Amino acid sequence: MTESFLDRREHLFYHWFVRLSDYGCNVGVLASFAVDKRPSWGGKPFEMMTPEIHRELYRLMVLSRLVDRACCELSVHWFPSEGEEAVLVGSFYGLRPDDVIAPHYRGPFIAFYMRGAALDRLLASPLGKATSYTRGRAPAHCGPPHFNIIPWVSGDLGPIISIAAGTALACRYKQSDRVTVHTIGEGTTNRGDFHEALTLAGLWKLPVVYVVQNNQYAISLHISEFMPCKEITDRAAGYGMPGVAVDGNDVAAVFETVQEAVARARQGLGPTLIEARTYRLRGHWAGDPAAYRPPEEVEAWRAQDPVVRCQQALLASGALTPEDDKALWAAAEEEVAEALAKAKAAPDLGTPDAGLNEVYA
Amino acid sequence: MRRLTYIDAIIEGIAEEMRRDPDVFLIGQDIGRFGGSLQGTKGLWEEFGPSRIYEAPIAESAMAGCGIGAALMGLRPMVEISFGEFLPTVMSQLVCHAASIHYGTAGVAHVPLVIRTRVGIGPYRGHPQCYESWFQHVPGLKVVMPYWPADAKGLIKAAIRDENPVLFFEHMFLYRGIRGEVPDGDHLVPIGRADIKRPGRDVTIAATGWMVLKALVAADLLAREGIEAEVVDLRTLAPLDVETLCASVRRTGRLVVVHEAWKVGGIGAEIAATVAEEAFEDLEAPIVRVGTPHVPIPSNETLRKVVIPDTPGIIAAVHQTLGRLSSG
Repeated sequence: MTESFLDRREHLFYHWFVRLSDYGCNVGVLASFAVDKRPSWGGKPFEMMTPEIHRELYRLMVLSRLVDRACCELSVHWFPSEGEEAVLVGSFYGLRPDDVIAPHYRGPFIAFYMRGAALDRLLASPLGKATSYTRGRAPAHCGPPHFNIIPWVSGDLGPIISIAAGTALACRYKQSDRVTVHTIGEGTTNRGDFHEALTLAGLWKLPVVYVVQNNQYAISLHISEFMPCKEITDRAAGYGMPGVAVDGNDVAAVFETVQEAVARARQGLGPTLIEARTYRLRGHWAGDPAAYRPPEEVEAWRAQDPVVRCQQALLASGALTPEDDKALWAAAEEEVAEALAKAKAAPDLGTPDAGLNEVYA
Repeated sequence: MRRLTYIDAIIEGIAEEMRRDPDVFLIGQDIGRFGGSLQGTKGLWEEFGPSRIYEAPIAESAMAGCGIGAALMGLRPMVEISFGEFLPTVMSQLVCHAASIHYGTAGVAHVPLVIRTRVGIGPYRGHPQCYESWFQHVPGLKVVMPYWPADAKGLIKAAIRDENPVLFFEHMFLYRGIRGEVPDGDHLVPIGRADIKRPGRDVTIAATGWMVLKALVAADLLAREGIEAEVVDLRTLAPLDVETLCASVRRTGRLVVVHEAWKVGGIGAEIAATVAEEAFEDLEAPIVRVGTPHVPIPSNETLRKVVIPDTPGIIAAVHQTLGRLSSG
């Protein structure tokens, strides 16, 4: 960072700034760099990671992977989230039940589950069962609003970014300290909605945290082919908010970074744009062979599997024994199998009506 | 009863709702100190201030999205899109999201949002585009387009209290172009009801917005020829008051539909089709539609007058349904 950039940073209320130098770098080293370099917001000090939290984050990532694999088997149209679990879990763990969330369409079930949604009712959605929360009327990635989740009733990308600004505005309007956390794909940051929503959020200092789930691919295009600036965090300056890059395959780093931004938003210090760099290990949809990218690239990122990295960190620190690990996987497999069986046993959609009298409230 | 202009009636309705319910608030451009485009929010800033009135940058899509988000949280936002010409910028928000949220969440979430906007050719020249028909096509949206000051006040209040997204179209010519008696007290007009502004036995003229005024003038001129036209002010385009329309057509046997929007694919097409389906046996002549021809709205005022429907055009359409030659 040059001197002039530092000046500019101060001017734009950058309280702190971290970035990974490049893709394919040694992310483990840079993650520790990120932790070391992270100064205080000037607010309540962030509660440090505990072994209990770390184990729970790991359990949720394991569960997410198993649920995702089950969904891929149920539907070739499912959007696989394998490899992106650290962002899914780290972004939404540790929030208050009255906080508002809006997960990206890739891998939202674990976020819904963390809010209290029943796994079998979530799995009922790709199965086309009447017990699904939306009764088949909205895409499977539409979360149940019962749990302060912004419903995503459409297949289009972008509008939720400003709807999330609106839920944040409502919390401010009601003088509460509730916060909204929204994850977005890096491809969606090119939509005009991103620009307009972050303009409003930055201008009005809304209590919202935007996490860009950067899996580096917008369907078939690599980020180098569709983004004119070097880093997504570069865009934050235009909206008067901090832009923070974090290793998106390190669940602890994602969790801590998001929680600091959440604390900042709760204190009325405004929004944050976080870029969590990860990688989409499978295709855009379950049936997509993803032949548009080099196999070496996929293999290099598979070596950075966030679930394996978390597992190794826990085993190395002694927070988890191999026996605990085995039991954790077995319990997760059982939980998914039970939910799947219950979902499959539920009645099919279409009985008795299509809900034509529920168009208007 | 007091006589108010159309815009004063609307502002009074908004102010009353803001006093009644602290969850009602406004998002829009220039709606604060400036008093709103065409002074359409005059006096609200002075009474309610920045805690209830959010001055927005030129970012209509985010304004609408913000409104949806706030509505999901139980607030009652009114988002002002200064002119109907800017509505295409909020299509995803309204069509893909606001309209479908109640149905899509199996009735759990709802979006009590009002989108207020200005349309039509008027004394101020700019932004005449009438895009209201696009929205009546979409299930889940309500579309309101009042003509008379009392209706405008009663409908804006009803729109704010409605649990659904409501688009409220205000005609710019009518802003200070008419003045009418507005009932005292908590005056509400239900969304979804048309109103017979002039009874008549020979022909039904169904019209929207400014065209209701033109239809009423046409009806007075037709009366000199001994033709008694019934003028139905639609007031709401979605949901459409099919009952009132068909009942009128059953009495008169003839229907002319008039709107300022393009004739092709306009609300007139929907009304003509619906009446043909519901009341075909009662029709004594083919339905006639009057609307702007299929041409982009020209900028020049003189050119505009050539394309926008006028009173002689309405009279000619009535003559057509009655099988008479029109002198106009």
